[in-house]
Amino acid sequence: MVEVTKTIDSRGSACPGPITDLVKAYRRARNGDVLEILATDAGIKPDATAWAKKTGNEILEIIDEPDHIRVLIKIVKD
Amino acid sequence: MKRVLIVGAGSGGTIAANTLSAQLKKEIKRNEVEITVLDDRGKHIYQPGYLHVAFKGADPEKIVKDEHELLNPAVNFQIDAARDIDLNEREIKTEKGKTLSYDYLILSTGCRTNPDLIPGLSGENYDFHTSPEASYRTWKAINEFKSGNIVMGITTLPHMCPPSPNESVFLADEFFRKKGIRDRVDITFITPYPRVYPAEAISECIEPLFEERDIRVETFFNIDSIDPEAGKIFSMEGDEIDYDLISLIPPHEGSPVIFDSEIGDEEGWIEADRFTMLVQNFDDAFAIGDCTAIPISKSGVVAHLQAHTVSATIADGIRGIGGVYRYNGRINCPLEIGDGKCTFVVSDYEEPIKKIEPSRIGYLQKWMIGKGYWKMLKGGLDIPMKFYFGETYHK
Repeated sequence: MVEVTKTIDSRGSACPGPITDLVKAYRRARNGDVLEILATDAGIKPDATAWAKKTGNEILEIIDEPDHIRVLIKIVKD
Repeated sequence: MKRVLIVGAGSGGTIAANTLSAQLKKEIKRNEVEITVLDDRGKHIYQPGYLHVAFKGADPEKIVKDEHELLNPAVNFQIDAARDIDLNEREIKTEKGKTLSYDYLILSTGCRTNPDLIPGLSGENYDFHTSPEASYRTWKAINEFKSGNIVMGITTLPHMCPPSPNESVFLADEFFRKKGIRDRVDITFITPYPRVYPAEAISECIEPLFEERDIRVETFFNIDSIDPEAGKIFSMEGDEIDYDLISLIPPHEGSPVIFDSEIGDEEGWIEADRFTMLVQNFDDAFAIGDCTAIPISKSGVVAHLQAHTVSATIADGIRGIGGVYRYNGRINCPLEIGDGKCTFVVSDYEEPIKKIEPSRIGYLQKWMIGKGYWKMLKGGLDIPMKFYFGETYHK
């Protein structure tokens, strides 16, 4: 079981969107932290994947819950 | 007597004060209601005007007016700074030593830029989000710039006016093209987002322009620090960019009084309901405009529509009707692409942003918004606004 350091609830957020919340949380995160993003905007899947790839952080899981998407990201580059 | 206290006289605070004083005209006359606005400056700045001061050389004095001229005479306007906001005791202590109590509170304290949050940024950056003076300083800097690398874009999120980073880069490109020195100036746009604009539909619209106009783009760029002596910007991931001049959107945070009163989050934003704007855990305090943690654009239109929503709720509350009005998340932000063309970023909580091709008509609409701003603050454009925004423009 992954221990989540911070949950970012972006459900219902359209503009500027969950990626804004992820970028904000990243600035305050430390190496080893696990960020959990909850979003209803499907754009979080490609955005978080591309973001993690580019910033050198790790997507642990992307889960389709019944009414939202749950993304777990481990911060390994801080 | 019922007391409505509004802290901050930007767009949201001024519109709320004028809307309430018009709606409660009779009650104010009968001394049953008092509307007080507390603001530390006494001057009102048309903040969207910063862009044209910085990149088109507009007169900075023309975007500032005396707040007294803009408020309904029935409003009790006090030039004084809020120092401590106690939501439980329903009172505010001011710099001049007064204690103001209220039945309804509207917090419209805006936000401020804080370049010190990025090491090396302060004193080095030419911005257009802080003041008319800072924007004019940017105008002078780009005028004196003859050749080299300019780096523009976003430092941290959130910031005022989401389209403004793109607008600045397009207007800088236009400025250097018209001056005939564009071939000697390299422009780089940095952003922490995956694309040039956070919303994909708008990005699709403007991304080709970056290539056409030879503007380099660095996405996913999370700025860490700046070394002014070396002329380098470093990212959190270890990338670096050389520069000769930087014009970046500085970090934003809530107003000092929000930190001091401990009523905001770690960045000084106030948690409030995105529909009613009620401050979390309170039924008599509202937060509108840039000061909130609501995940929506920090823009004038949001402050405007939220001001109308909370004014309707408060007016009904005072009259004992007890309705709670809801804001539908409508945004309507112009994005200027240079050469007299403009697109708009339009959405609400239900409808996503759609692609709107930039046009001269769009630019005309933006120009009209600017021209009508002062009149709009006084409620003079309520009829066309109601027509344009429909149900969400509560009266």
